[in-house]
Amino acid sequence: MILTIQQILFIVIALVVLISAVLVVTTRNLFHAALFLVVSFFGVAGFYVLLDAGFFAAVQVMIYIGAISILFIFAVMLTRDVITSARGNSQWIAAAVVAAAIFIIAAILLGPAALIIRGREFGNVQWSDPNGPAATSATVIGDLGRGLVSFNQYAVPFLLGAVLLLVAMVGAIWVARERRSRDMAAERAAAAADDIGSDTDQPVQEELPLPDNSMATEKH
Amino acid sequence: MLNGIPLFWYLIVSAALFCIGLYGVMARKNTIAMLMGVELMLNAVNINLIAFWRYVTPKSTAGLAFAAFIFVVAAAEAAVGLGLIISVYRNTRSVDPEKIDSLKL
Amino acid sequence: MSVFEVINNILKIVGDAVAGLITSLLGAGALSEIVVMFIAAFVICGFCAVAFMAMTYAERKIVARIQDRIGPNQAGPYGVLQPLADGVKMFTKEDTTPATADRWVYNLAPLVIAVFALLTYAVIPFAPSVVGANLNIGVLYVIAVGSGSTIAIMMAGWGSNNKYSLLGAFRTVAQLVGYEVPMLLNVLPVVMLSGSMSLVDIVERQTLANGAHGIPFILMLPLSALIFLISGIAETGRSPFDLLEAESEIVAGFHVEYSGMKFALFFLGEYVNALAVSIMFAVLFLGGYAGPVLPPYIWLLLKAAAVFTVLMWLRGTLPRVRVDQLMSFNWKFLVPMSIVNVILVMVLAKVFVADPALAAANGGIAVSPGMQALILFVSNGVVLLSALGIVARHARQMRLVEAEDLEKRRAQNMLVAAKAVAQ
Repeated sequence: MILTIQQILFIVIALVVLISAVLVVTTRNLFHAALFLVVSFFGVAGFYVLLDAGFFAAVQVMIYIGAISILFIFAVMLTRDVITSARGNSQWIAAAVVAAAIFIIAAILLGPAALIIRGREFGNVQWSDPNGPAATSATVIGDLGRGLVSFNQYAVPFLLGAVLLLVAMVGAIWVARERRSRDMAAERAAAAADDIGSDTDQPVQEELPLPDNSMATEKH
Repeated sequence: MLNGIPLFWYLIVSAALFCIGLYGVMARKNTIAMLMGVELMLNAVNINLIAFWRYVTPKSTAGLAFAAFIFVVAAAEAAVGLGLIISVYRNTRSVDPEKIDSLKL
Repeated sequence: MSVFEVINNILKIVGDAVAGLITSLLGAGALSEIVVMFIAAFVICGFCAVAFMAMTYAERKIVARIQDRIGPNQAGPYGVLQPLADGVKMFTKEDTTPATADRWVYNLAPLVIAVFALLTYAVIPFAPSVVGANLNIGVLYVIAVGSGSTIAIMMAGWGSNNKYSLLGAFRTVAQLVGYEVPMLLNVLPVVMLSGSMSLVDIVERQTLANGAHGIPFILMLPLSALIFLISGIAETGRSPFDLLEAESEIVAGFHVEYSGMKFALFFLGEYVNALAVSIMFAVLFLGGYAGPVLPPYIWLLLKAAAVFTVLMWLRGTLPRVRVDQLMSFNWKFLVPMSIVNVILVMVLAKVFVADPALAAANGGIAVSPGMQALILFVSNGVVLLSALGIVARHARQMRLVEAEDLEKRRAQNMLVAAKAVAQ
């Protein structure tokens, strides 16, 4: 059967997305996993273009590839001595079986198989309507923008999303900050504050967070 | 059937991507790799939402707004999750989720 | 058609002729469209390559003259064949690969950088109705493509398996990601004033046609233009923000292990990025292809060349900025100023509208376009001067505190020295 250009494009992009996703979850080298994740994100941006949501394609590239992937690569770099992890943990077979089962249920039993078994699609949506959907409105981005700021529509989730981003930014910086010098300074200050007793002659005991010995011996 | 692509093609791809991400979360030995699986799942959900928006309600913007909020939440969650992983790594020198199992370090 | 009209529209005439030829050969349909798009992409890449050669030559000569020397003058009269000589050198140099480098990542990185640098040119309008793709999200596309090139730099830094390379890549990515924020924040006022993210619409608003006011946005928003230019220079990694690839600092940063053709691709990527920033500045703030007498593409190239001359001037004149100064300049100075600027422009553009029909519909004071331009100009100046004033006052306080501290320490030292002498 003759495929149109868009169908060929869809199949190519789908193969790119799925193959790179499989490589993300099975490769040993974490840096390669991050790069394959980037390829997968590009594929998803291609899907958005095919779905007439070009704005979201640009946003996907900017946010996922320009920011989140960089975060992943930095995290991989900062935890570098464990970069080559094992391929799968002790339960990977069960995980594969569960994932395959969910895929079969979701994609096949609720999808094309429903058409065959029940004679109609599952739910109210026509999943292969030969007439095709209506066209989007010409000002869809403007409508989205207006919707996000009007209090009849999505202004409250928008503001909550802004607060969430602020909290996440501050929280991530606070959680991941370098702790050592602060703790040492706090200890010195605490020791200097209550030096009425006899411990002025002794050096200040600094409590650095020590790694747990049991974990150190377990690592090879 | 937009450009000859029926809706369920997108749904099958999105379900496959979701299941691959699920496998990544359940079967990997490194928390950063688990977070990569979570990002794949979020992407799959986004494809699903935008496909349904395009094919079922192309004139309204509800699906698009939903997808936009998922972008926001994914970014925030990736940032905080990676910050936590780095902090845990600094304290215990390990990113193996099976070893980080005590509440008191 | 007179000769004048032919020269004015030569790009469109040639483009239409080629499209017609391909359609007659392959039949009207998707295939001929794709072939025409490929040919247009080749033409743009060819233009970038020729521009790259001209830019390297001009840069070396002009920076040399600023530094009171002559520059290359051996290859051909006045050194005009120097870019060719450079090209031959790049092609014939040995192509080394470190033994422990990650092959695929190391080899793909220069390609990815060059590709992302060239992708920007797809949405730039070279003449009225000569544009690769008139995306209605043109500005967002350019910034998205710019942010995608950071991945390629991480690939280069990590793939070389060299700790200096990796360190250079970290700092480069921190700089690039940091300076995207003021870039995006300062494109917002332009988008607000022209009502569209499409680059063709932005240029049309700066021409004198169809009720547009014909005032280039640099006159209305000089502060945004300045911050966009600074962020653009930092994004391309040129002087004075070139700490990351300067030979005296971190041994050429993330591309230290590259030689031959791969280094040539990095070099090409950097200059193509610089040209893209110049053309974007010309399109967003200087009016793109608008101009009275000359053909539109000549105007665009002249404006981009003027901006690139400013870039070369800055390179030859300013010293390098230290990396912590760079980051604090961005986050503590440029970003707050940009946010205040955006809010102010937003409020003023809604209150003082240039279009009387819009004022009647939404409420607001209808002023002439010139008056609106003047109001925005003054508001920009107020923001810049107050920011500079705050910084100057803070710097003076810090200087006084430091002077006090120095005095105290000097007095202490003298006491100690006096005690030592007395004993």
